[in-house]
Amino acid sequence: MFDTGQIFFNAAVTGSLYLLAGTGLTLTYGLSRFPNFAYAEFITFGGYIGYLFLQRADGSLPVALITAFFASGILSVVSYRFCFRPLIDRKAALIPLMIASIALGYVIRYAIGEVWSWSALSYQPVWSAFELAEIRVTALWLYLVGAALLTGTSLHFLLTHTKTGKAIRAIASNPELALVSGINSDRVILFTWFTGAALAGVAGVFRAADTQLFPMLGWDILLIVFAAVILGGIGSFYGLIAAAFILGLVENFGVVLLQAVGLSTEYRMAIAFLVLILVLIVRPKGLAR
Amino acid sequence: MDPLFYVFDTLVFVGIFALLTVSLNLEYGFTGLGNFGKVAFFMAGAYTYALLANQQLPFYLCLTGGAAVAGITGILVTFPALRLREDYLAIVTLSFGEILRIIIKAEEGIAGGVRGIWVPSAFAPLGSMRSLAVANVLLVLCCLAAAFLLAQLLAHSPYGRILRGIREDDVAVQALGKNTVLYKLGVLTAGSAIAGVAGGLFAQYMSFIDPYMFLPLVTFFVWIMLILGGPGNNWGALVGALLVELLNRGTRILKDYLTLPVDPNNLQFILFGLLIILILLYRPQGLLPEGPVKTAARRMFQNAPSA
Repeated sequence: MFDTGQIFFNAAVTGSLYLLAGTGLTLTYGLSRFPNFAYAEFITFGGYIGYLFLQRADGSLPVALITAFFASGILSVVSYRFCFRPLIDRKAALIPLMIASIALGYVIRYAIGEVWSWSALSYQPVWSAFELAEIRVTALWLYLVGAALLTGTSLHFLLTHTKTGKAIRAIASNPELALVSGINSDRVILFTWFTGAALAGVAGVFRAADTQLFPMLGWDILLIVFAAVILGGIGSFYGLIAAAFILGLVENFGVVLLQAVGLSTEYRMAIAFLVLILVLIVRPKGLAR
Repeated sequence: MDPLFYVFDTLVFVGIFALLTVSLNLEYGFTGLGNFGKVAFFMAGAYTYALLANQQLPFYLCLTGGAAVAGITGILVTFPALRLREDYLAIVTLSFGEILRIIIKAEEGIAGGVRGIWVPSAFAPLGSMRSLAVANVLLVLCCLAAAFLLAQLLAHSPYGRILRGIREDDVAVQALGKNTVLYKLGVLTAGSAIAGVAGGLFAQYMSFIDPYMFLPLVTFFVWIMLILGGPGNNWGALVGALLVELLNRGTRILKDYLTLPVDPNNLQFILFGLLIILILLYRPQGLLPEGPVKTAARRMFQNAPSA
């Protein structure tokens, strides 16, 4: 009935996107202990920065990716420094922090709408499909999977073999103990906010290249990314790797099933929601713990 | 437009949003529950009202039906997240708001999908435009008064003190032998039912609804109203709803007279977002801070002659 190889490849592509988009979300969620809904806009912002380079057909994807990486990272650091850090210093509780992140998201989203308008834009370079071992692929999808692999390995190296990475894990598991052990948690947290959002910006470029660019781009995938973060276990990068690909699989099989039973493919988000509810009922701590 | 009708229209919208804000105040202000999917329960009430009203049921039954469906939806959606930390509830309710809209949009059989659905007016037999407008205002204000009284009674009863206790220290309340999950569920049911009534009133007043009226923006507006007015204070909820709705309408009028280099709609949301962040930073208690709980003991103490 369906082409299993193709579905698995598509799942890898979708999962790679969720991994890139969710890495920063889960790491900062673990460190700063609140879900940052403005991540949607970090993703979107990356997409629009990429547009600066990819609005011409001869635009270079690597340049767009690298610029989006730094732009979204800097946006995240600025938002931490001027919005979240002052709130945390004033002992703001969890829900006010979440509201602030939603409010900040609106500020960024409408600023993007003001600068680039609300109508959908498209990147000009075209990545045409070709067959690779009977699977339909595009170079863009291969880059995306490659970027996810690179992220996975380098973050694994970072978390296990560097001082910063160990500090990230230490702060996430016990902030007070980390502080008395002499870890400069301010610097580590800023580093994580930067890197995480930078990867989200990269995800934004890939998403925009694959579909279209519009101010709701990040918001449209944010809830699925949240489902992945919770399925993986909040704060766990390794859990997220598994969860992102599980959600990719569930979504791609789900879409085929939806088409088979004649339901709208708009329900792909509902599938992620179903996964989220099941996780909360069965294993609220997520896969990692 | 006739200025009198404009005033009535404003009153109806202030009333509907005040209902939503009062309901959110029960959940967040008193109990500390972050419901980020208010729009979903508003939508459930609106669509239930529309479907029942199209069956020629009288409006009070449609409103009750809307409240019941929204309340039950509230139980079903929030229950899986209630045993967990508060951020799970936020993510679940937020997602549900999106999902419900997707379902209504995709299933044309339920209520017309993207084409929307017409809702018969409750007061069509009244005839004249003016009496129709007055009836609408009265209906909304009566519902608001009822919900407000209920919220005040809850807030100043022993039940309300337990809710505040849950907000301040969940575990301490559990240690006193209270089943906090049941209390939270009760509050979310009441809050969702009130939001359902607001939805029914909205559908009745608009006489046409479609899924694009129920964007997450509605939830955001209700949060702005509550944060501005003062969480934990029902009067603050009313003031917040009034101020934000007036601000909203004021900018809409200004648009016609001002020429700005930026799109006023974008500017409005940027300013609202910044306003929220500034309030959270510099006046987290809102315009009207939460007052002391009124109890019989306190009243006796206050009335006692100071010796």
